Order: sequence, then structure tokens, then C-alpha cells
Amino acid sequence: MGKAKGEEPKLDMTPMIDCVFQLLIFFIISLKPEDIIAHLDVNRPQADSRAKPDTKLDLIQVGVFTDGFTLNDRNVSYTTMESMMTRLAALSKTQTVVIKCALESPHSRLIEVLNLCSKVGLKNLSVMSM
Amino acid sequence: MGKSKNYEVPLDMTPMIDCVFQLMIFFIVTFKLDADMIDEKIVLAKAPNGPAIEQKIPGTVIVEVTNRGFFKIGGAVMNDETLYRMIKQAANRIGSNNIQILLRADSKARHVYVKRALDACTRAGVWRIQFAAMKKKAS
Repeated sequence: MGKAKGEEPKLDMTPMIDCVFQLLIFFIISLKPEDIIAHLDVNRPQADSRAKPDTKLDLIQVGVFTDGFTLNDRNVSYTTMESMMTRLAALSKTQTVVIKCALESPHSRLIEVLNLCSKVGLKNLSVMSM
Repeated sequence: MGKSKNYEVPLDMTPMIDCVFQLMIFFIVTFKLDADMIDEKIVLAKAPNGPAIEQKIPGTVIVEVTNRGFFKIGGAVMNDETLYRMIKQAANRIGSNNIQILLRADSKARHVYVKRALDACTRAGVWRIQFAAMKKKAS
């Protein structure tokens, strides 16, 4: 009994270290950084037979083709379109942008235009096909 | 030597139970609902200036368009007619004013395929459409 009093109880650290390593491995394996996805909102034009032809000038027409873009029926490069749309957006952000896509054009081209509209702050967007 | 043959070795169950609990925790944490299933093979076009999707908005239906022109909802492949019916059903359930379509189209998909998906939406009376794009890729 005298001997037992003199002995210090040993704290076994092994299970705790085991658990800590297990948790560490688990978090390292399960940690997966996620992609940030953007949403580009558009409206589909609704057919209304009673509607009068739109004579308003605040309408930007963008054509999306396989080999390039048009802005108000003029062939433009992406950089030209960017500078022109920045200027147009500076006048009014409530202008409607009608994006007409060619059927054979890749989807990435439409996203390029939508991204540009989002960049310059134009939010009233309509997508049509041609 | 003769005595040692009669000794019974006690089976320690503790490590096995530890492992079982660890596995259980792992599967509970990593379990994902099938409703969120998306096609990882679809490569989204880049749109660094688009607003980021912060959280899933209730009433959003994710429609996927592959580069070959297949339509998918929740991992199930479907044709134009089925897509229209699914959107119509969702619109009736959620409400035409509350439903929103998130279109995840592959960057290489031709617009004709996207148009077919858009037509199905408009036929079902859904006018609010969002295009999903890659804002920032995880490094």
C-alpha cells in the first residue's frame, strides 16, 4: 500500500493522438474548394398580338454569331462592343438589350455578351433566337 | 508449455467499434441528396462579372444542356416533350410567378439546343430564366 501511494498515475496519450490524426486526415480529404457560379438573368420576350410596334429608341440590339457579334446591325469586335456598350450604359441603365443568337453559335458566345451586360450594369436583357 | 494451450485470448471490441463510428460519421457528413445532382462533365462558360449564386433560392429548377444537346433534370436525361412536362408540373406546384429556371448549358453547346430548352420554358409559361456560368474556378 505504501508503494502504491508513491506511484504517479500515467496518462495514456495514445488514443487521443490517434483520434486527432483521424480527424486531421478526414478534414484534409473532405476539404474541397467549390467553384463560384454566377447567374445571368434574362427574360424571354412574350408574344402579344395587341402590342404596338416598339418605336422607342432606347433599345440595344446585339447579334451573336458563330464568327462574331453585331451591335445595332453593325459588325463589331468584342472590344469595340465593350466600349460602345459602356458608353450606352452610361446614358441609361434601364435600356433594353435584345440579344439575338444564331442557332449555330456556341453557348459561350451568348454568355460573353451577358457577362458584358452585367459588367456595364445593363440588367434589362432579352434573349431571342434567329 | 501444456498450460498455455488452455489460455483464452479476450477479443477487444473497442477498435472495431471506434472504426465503425468513424465510418458512420464520415458517411453522414458526406451524404448528399439526389435532388442536388448535377452533371460534373458540363463545362460552364466563364462570366467573371456575373453576380454569384450565394445560396439556393427556393423554387429554382436546374435544367442542364449537354454539349450534345441532351436535357437533364436531377441527372435524368429527357427529350423536349418530357422537359416541357417537368417544367409545367414544377410551375403548377411552385407557382408561375415563383418558379425560376437555372439553365446549366455547356459552353460548347450550340444555341439551337439552348433554344429548345428555352422554348420548353416559355411553353410552360416560365419567363424568368437564369444562365449559370463560371464566376471563379476553385483552385
